[in-house]
Amino acid sequence: MQNSLKRTWALLGVVAAISAIAASSAGASHKAGPTITIWTDSDRAAAVTKVANDWAATSGATIKVVTKQFGDIRDNLGTVAAADAPDVITAAHDWTGQLAANGLVEPIFLSSAVKANFPSYTLNAFSYGTAVKKLYGVPAAVENIGLVVNTKLAKVPTSFSQLETEALAVKKSKHQTFGIAVQQGSGGDAYHMYPFFSGLGGYIFGTNKAGNLDPSDIGVANPTFLKNAHLIDKWNKEGLISSKVDGSAAQNAFLKGQSAFWITGPWNSDTLKKSGLSFKIIQVPAIAKPSVPFLGVQGFMVTKFASVHGVDAAAKDLVTSFMAGAGPQTTLAAANGRPPANIKAKSSDPVLAQFSNASKGGVPMPNIPQMSSVWGDLGQAWVRSTKGAGAMTAAKSFKAAARSIAAKIG
Amino acid sequence: MSTATAPIPAEPPPFSPGRIARAIAAFSGLPGQIIKLAFLAATNGLAVWAAYVLADRKHWVALPILIAATAAIDIVYLAPRKWTLPLKFLVPGTIFLLAFQIVPIVYTIEVAFSNYSTGHVIGKADAIKAIQVNSLQPPANGRQFEIAPARDASGKLVLILHDDASGAVYVGTNKALTPLAKADVTISKDTGQPTAAKGYTLIKGAELFAMDAQLKAFNIPTRGGSAIQTQGVSQAVELQPTLRYDKAKDQFVRISDGVVFKDNGQGSFVSSVNPKDELEPGWKTYTGLHNFGKLANNPLYRTPFLKVFVWTFAFATLTVLLSFAIGLFVAIALNKKGLRFQRLYRSVLVVPWAMPGFLSLLIWAGLLNDSFGVVNNKILSHFGFTVPWLFDANWAKVSVILVSVWLTTPYFFLVSLGALQSIPEELTEAARVDGGGAWGIFRRVTLPLLLIAVGPLLIASFAFNFNNFNNIYLLTGGGPYTGSSSIAGSTDILISYTYKLAIATGKGQDYGLASAVAIIIFFIVATISGTAFFRSKALENVN
Repeated sequence: MQNSLKRTWALLGVVAAISAIAASSAGASHKAGPTITIWTDSDRAAAVTKVANDWAATSGATIKVVTKQFGDIRDNLGTVAAADAPDVITAAHDWTGQLAANGLVEPIFLSSAVKANFPSYTLNAFSYGTAVKKLYGVPAAVENIGLVVNTKLAKVPTSFSQLETEALAVKKSKHQTFGIAVQQGSGGDAYHMYPFFSGLGGYIFGTNKAGNLDPSDIGVANPTFLKNAHLIDKWNKEGLISSKVDGSAAQNAFLKGQSAFWITGPWNSDTLKKSGLSFKIIQVPAIAKPSVPFLGVQGFMVTKFASVHGVDAAAKDLVTSFMAGAGPQTTLAAANGRPPANIKAKSSDPVLAQFSNASKGGVPMPNIPQMSSVWGDLGQAWVRSTKGAGAMTAAKSFKAAARSIAAKIG
Repeated sequence: MSTATAPIPAEPPPFSPGRIARAIAAFSGLPGQIIKLAFLAATNGLAVWAAYVLADRKHWVALPILIAATAAIDIVYLAPRKWTLPLKFLVPGTIFLLAFQIVPIVYTIEVAFSNYSTGHVIGKADAIKAIQVNSLQPPANGRQFEIAPARDASGKLVLILHDDASGAVYVGTNKALTPLAKADVTISKDTGQPTAAKGYTLIKGAELFAMDAQLKAFNIPTRGGSAIQTQGVSQAVELQPTLRYDKAKDQFVRISDGVVFKDNGQGSFVSSVNPKDELEPGWKTYTGLHNFGKLANNPLYRTPFLKVFVWTFAFATLTVLLSFAIGLFVAIALNKKGLRFQRLYRSVLVVPWAMPGFLSLLIWAGLLNDSFGVVNNKILSHFGFTVPWLFDANWAKVSVILVSVWLTTPYFFLVSLGALQSIPEELTEAARVDGGGAWGIFRRVTLPLLLIAVGPLLIASFAFNFNNFNNIYLLTGGGPYTGSSSIAGSTDILISYTYKLAIATGKGQDYGLASAVAIIIFFIVATISGTAFFRSKALENVN
C-alpha cells in the first residue's frame, strides 16, 4: 500500500509537469494591436485575405480570416461566443433583415462619393429597418439569372410570343416534354421562376410609406397577376415549362441540344464556356410586364461584436473605405465568378457581362425575414400548376399560396 | 451442430482465446503504464487549455466543474487499483453520455421554454443598445463629414471635419462644432479627407485604431437633439434619435408622437397603440409554455400535426416490418446448406447498407424522377405506363417506403442471418421428428427464438426510422404538397415538419417552437419504445 501511494504521487507529478508545459504554450498566443476577424466562404477566402491585408499594411492591424460554409456564416453568428465572433462577415443581401432584426450587425454609413459608385439597388438591397431604414452592408458582387439561347437551334427572341414559338418548335423536333429548360423539381424553385412571375405582374411584398417592404402586402396573387395567370395554364398545356424538370434535367437538356433555352445564372458561366455551344444571354422577353429576374447582391457587413472587441472603427474603415473601392471590388468579385458591384470595377469576363445585361430593371430578393415564409409556398404554386396532366389551375394554385403565406407570416 | 455450417460473410479469423489474452497482456506492465500516462497527460493538457479559455471568458460556473472533473479523472486512474477499479470502466462512458446526450437534451428543453427565434437572439441589455442605435436618423438637411481625428495643442482629442456637400471645414470637440478657415486645412482630392490642419496633429495608424472606444463615444452636439457621431475613423454623420429610452419605467418613447413601447413579457418592446408594431431587435427570454400553447391553439400548426403524426407512425412501422420480413426471408433462403455462391449473394445483398445513405438517396431521387428517371423512362415506359413517383401524394409515400426498405433490409438480413445460425439445430430437428411441417417449425420454434435476439433491434430501428430525416428530406423534401399549406407535405414526418417549422414560418428560424416539437417527439418515441420493450421482455419470459 505504501509503495503504491508513493507511485501515485510520482505519477501525479509527471502529469502536473506536462500540464504546466501545455499551460505555458496556451498563454503565449496573445498579441498586441487590433485584430480584425473576418468570416468568409472558401471561394473568397484568398481574395478577402489579400484585400484585408492590403488594408492592414497601412493601419497596422492583424487580419484573421476564418473560412466557413456560406450559409453557416449567417447561422453561426447568432450562436458564437463573443470571444470567437467575427468583426466583419461576407454576407448575402437577403440576410440583412434577419441579422439586423437579431441585432447582430451594425448600421454603416457611406460617404456620398463612395455611394455614387454603386447602383442604388445594390445599396437598397442591404438596407433594412421597420421604422428607420439603415444600410448594413457594402455591396461587392451582384448576380442574377438570364435566358441563355442556343443560337444554332433558335433565333434570339425579341418578344415572348417568339420565344414561345421557337421553344415549342425545338420541343417538337427533339421530341421533348418541355420547351424552356427552367429548373423546379418536386421541391419547387421560386427563384428561377421569378422572371415568369414578374412578367405576369406578380410581386412578393409591396412597400409601405416609409419605403420599406411591407410583409402584410403580399402580391403573390394580386389582381393583375390573376388576370394573366391563365397564360400559365396555357404554357402547362402546351408543355412550354414543366415542374418535373429539376436542376440537372434542365442543364442536361440545354447542353445536349434538346432545349434551345435555359434559365440559369453566372454560377454556370464556366459550364457554358466549356460546352462549346454558341449562345447568347438575354433577359426573358416581357410578357404582360417586363420579365425581370431576382437580383442577388453579396457584400460585407460589420458585426456588433466589433465594438465588443474594440475594433469597431477599424472594421468600419476596412469595409466602408477600403473594400468599397474599385480595386478591391474587382479582386473580391472575381474570386467568386460574379460581376463586381462597384460600377468603376467592370468585369472583363464576356459571359458575366451578358448576365449583367440581363439584370435590367431587376428586383433585389426581399431582405426582410418574413421572406422565409414565402419560398416554399411560391415554389409549390408553380409546381402544382405546371406539372402537366392533372395540374391545378394557376389562379387557384397561387391564391392558395398567398393564403398560406399570409397565415405563416401571421 | 454439424461441422459443415456455412461461414458468415465477413469471417473472423479462427477464434483463439490465447491471442486475446496475449494482446491484453501486452498492454499491462510498462507499455500499458506509458500509454495510460500519455492519455492522462493529454487529458490534463486539454483541461488546462480549456481552463485558460474559461477563465479568460469569465465562465465562473464551468471552471470549477472542469477542475473538479479533471482531478476526479486523475484520481480514478492513478489511485491504487482496488479502490477505483469499477470507476475506471464507468468514467469514460459517463463523460460521453453527459457530453453527447444529457447536455443537448438540457439545451433543447431550455430552448423549448424560450422565445429563441429570429429577432430574439441577443440579451435584453444588448437589444436596448441596438434599438437606440437603430433609432438614430439623419435630421432634415443632415450633414455628412469626412473626418480626421487629431490632437489640439493641449493634446486633447478633437475631430477635423470636412463637410461633403458644402466643402466647409470645422473642428469638433465633445462640446461644440467650430468653423475653421479653409486655408488652414488640407483636403485630399481623392477621398475628401483632411490630411493636415494648422495647429493640430493628426492621429494616424495603429494609435488611431487603438482609440476605438473613445471615437465611438465622441459626440459633437449640434442643433436640436442632433449630434455628429463618428462612423469608423474617416466618417462622421449628423444623427438624431427617434426613440428615447426611459430607464426607470423600462420603456421606449417615440419622440415624434409620444407613443410608448412597453416590454410585452415575450422579449419585445411593443407599441401601446398597435400591438403589431414592435421594436427590433427583441431579446431572448423565457416564455414558459408559450411554444406548447402555440402548437395546441394555432390551427396552422395543429392541423398538420395529427396528419403528420399518423404518417410518421405508418412510415416507421411499415419500413421496419417490411425490411424485417424481406431480410428474414432472404436470410432463411441463403442459410440453406449447400447453396452455391452463397458468399457472393450475401456480399451483394449488403451493398445497399454499406453505401453511404446520402448517396443512395440522391441516386434514388434521380431514378424515380417522373419524366427523366430511369425507372419511368427506361423500364416502365416499355410496358406502356409510368408512375408519378414523386409528384403524387400517395405514390410519393410508396416511393419513400420503398427506398427506406431498400436501405434497411440488408441490416435485418445480416441480423437475422446471425440469429438464425445461433438457434441450435437440435431444436428444429426435434420439431421435425415430432412431425412438424416447415411452416409450423418456423412459426412455433424459429421465429420466437429469433425475436428474442432481434426484438430489441426492431424497436431500435423503429425509433431510428421515426426520426429518419435524411430519407424524407433527400428523396421528396417532404413533398408533394396537397392542400393549401406548405408547412407539411404529404411525406413529411414529424422531424422534417419540425425542421420546416424552424426555418420556414413567420420570420424564419423559430428554434423555440421547433424544440417544443422535438420534446413532444421524444415523449412519443419513448412511450412507444418503452411499451415495446416491456412486451419483448414478456416474450422472453414465455420461452
